[in-house]
Amino acid sequence: MTSNVSMKCMKCNERAVIRMRQHRLALCKDHYIEWFVQQTQRFIEKYHMFTRDEKVLVAVSGGKDSLALWDVLWQLGYHAEGLYINLGIDEGLHYSNESERLAREFAEQRGLVLHVINVEQAHGETVPEIARRTRRGRDKPCAVCGLIKRHDMNQAALELGFNVLATAHNLDDEVAFLFGNVFHWNLEQMRRQAPILPESPGFARKVKPFCRFSERETAAYSLVRGIAYIEDECPFAEGSKQLLYKDLLNRLEEVEPGAKLRFYLGFIEARDSGQLVLPREEEVPLELHPCPRCGQPTTSPGLCAYCRLFERESLEASETQRPSG
Amino acid sequence: MSVVLILRKQEFKIEGTITVKEALKRLNLSPESHLVVRNGELLNENDVLRDGDVVKIVPSISGGGR
Ligand code: SF4
Ligand SMILES: [Zn+2]
Ligand SMILES: [Zn+2]
Repeated sequence: MTSNVSMKCMKCNERAVIRMRQHRLALCKDHYIEWFVQQTQRFIEKYHMFTRDEKVLVAVSGGKDSLALWDVLWQLGYHAEGLYINLGIDEGLHYSNESERLAREFAEQRGLVLHVINVEQAHGETVPEIARRTRRGRDKPCAVCGLIKRHDMNQAALELGFNVLATAHNLDDEVAFLFGNVFHWNLEQMRRQAPILPESPGFARKVKPFCRFSERETAAYSLVRGIAYIEDECPFAEGSKQLLYKDLLNRLEEVEPGAKLRFYLGFIEARDSGQLVLPREEEVPLELHPCPRCGQPTTSPGLCAYCRLFERESLEASETQRPSG
Repeated sequence: MSVVLILRKQEFKIEGTITVKEALKRLNLSPESHLVVRNGELLNENDVLRDGDVVKIVPSISGGGR
């Protein structure tokens, strides 16, 4: 006898696999998949992220969110190719190689195109090695890792002829980031947080189609779709502030369903309607010029921050003078 | 016999019949941050776990730099 007759799908009366209190909705496996895919389409349209005529490059990490995003875009019939960046993170877990294997397997099963960048092959060093060598990342490679990922993703999008770059940031990512910025009154960062960042010369448009799904919802989607994703966390994520904030915010969500979504949407709405006034960008627009090495726009006088990571000869000198960041 | 719950590499045991929601509560795990899977099937919070069940707890949140 099955025990699970208590919670039913609100559409068909089958056993529900998930209840979403913030939406007052319980759904079975099939209706959940349908709902999730339709919602994604709604968000893409609502924020004018991209159209069916545009090619979308999806940043895939081998994790549940990014593979779910690629899967949904594929189901919706968008022209979506994947980009995987092998960061060379091993730490005894083969984290990068295993996630690359899963990303490749996912693409193969669906006949999708996956572009792969390997940091070690490109630069002769892995991300943790680069981080250890530079001041930006002596303790944790995350700052260096983020810089490399952002740069390589943008570069790949431009070189491969995509003007849209999609990342799988979910509501929990967005809310944790916003919470951290409010908590530290980091107003600068709050200006640019949005479901979509329009393209500008040298920069692809950045979109986050999952920004309104909680991480529980994206995880549930991957599970019911049977997507094989990397379950291990990046070993460097342990003890991160972001995890702490997510945990705190979920404790709050438990007693106040919908709190995360209201916090996020309330912020976007208040800022975009002008009710919340953040300090304006410098009056004089920052002078952007192409980096002499990689060509990406930068504000720094010489090489961009990314290329400076690989300036070994001048490293000693520059490290003592130049503030990182 | 008992209900066995596996979270990453850790095993927890709970005696008797219990709902998913109760089980997470006993382990002090937020239902917002964890999903429970039995034989590959995602369970809702009211689903009942019984003696002999072996279920997997899947953490839904992950961290790291953005
Ligand atoms: S946790 Fe840090 S090192 Fe690991 S992938 Fe994320 S940013 Fe990179
Ligand atoms: Zn149904
Ligand atoms: Zn450069």
